[in-house]
Amino acid sequence: MAEGKVRTVQPVATSEARWWLWLRITGVLMVLFVFPHVIIKDVIVGVHNIDTEYVAQVWENVLVRVFDFLLLFTTFTHGMVGLRQVLMDFVHSPSGRKTTTWILAVIWFVVTVMGTMAIIGGVSLQPGA
Amino acid sequence: MSDPKTTFTGYARYRATGQLAFLLHRITGLGILLFLLIHIVDTSFVYFAPELYDHAIQIYRSLPFMIGEIFLVWAVFYHGFNGLRIIIFDLWKPEWWEKDIAVKSVYWVLVLSILAWLPAAFIMGKAVIENHFLGG
Ligand code: HEM
Repeated sequence: MAEGKVRTVQPVATSEARWWLWLRITGVLMVLFVFPHVIIKDVIVGVHNIDTEYVAQVWENVLVRVFDFLLLFTTFTHGMVGLRQVLMDFVHSPSGRKTTTWILAVIWFVVTVMGTMAIIGGVSLQPGA
Repeated sequence: MSDPKTTFTGYARYRATGQLAFLLHRITGLGILLFLLIHIVDTSFVYFAPELYDHAIQIYRSLPFMIGEIFLVWAVFYHGFNGLRIIIFDLWKPEWWEKDIAVKSVYWVLVLSILAWLPAAFIMGKAVIENHFLGG
């Protein structure tokens, strides 16, 4: 790269530009969800105090469920778009790129639906509990 | 499909500060994603199979996983801070990609991510000792 001035270009509105922008939009939003989540669950509460009972208790508050849904949606979408970005460095043919994108989209959809169902459904009653 | 070897040797050969930040950002991003994928599935067990949820948590409480968790938290701090750096430069201050500021900011992000992580690592390290070495 030349020293000094940075060359700026007007990006063309392709789908690649939209993926690029999406990584950045989710990136900004996620800061609001990822840092509180990690600091509360990993550092303050700790894995030895987390079990189904704990989850049932915090999910009594609907706002916590909304928070957890936004956390799930923004992080997993960002991560899968990020993985696509990485894979595009290896896959160059248009058909290969299309197939890769579709496989990632299916995984994204299945896992997001699983997580969302759990957040809406809540903790299932344990037999004998 | 391009030759993956070319891409990997390219990672290893091209040395510059920006390249270090790029590699760390990529490795931490992929590492967090691998964990996140497993973590969404195991958390969804609270609904689909609660007894499996407690089994999964049992694994997370083991010594190797608790130590891994400490490094995962650093990965999140580093990736998050560096991501914000990239976003600020790209969307508001493209002139900051100019060499000097870009290089210095790489080190700032590295130092800040470690400083922010140390108190967290201390608290989590304490939990490791209490639960695995003091018969907790
Ligand atoms: C905490 C807030 C986060 C911010 C601000 C953030 C920001 C970013 C940005 C700006 C990029 C694009 C980098 C580029 O195009 O050069 C990116 C890439 C990526 N992110 Fe994040 N991220 C965050 C959290 C996460 C999490 C939690 C995951 C895991 C699920 C993740 C996984 C990835 C992956 C796999 C990439 C692609 C890496 C690459 O292309 O080399 N990020 N992130």
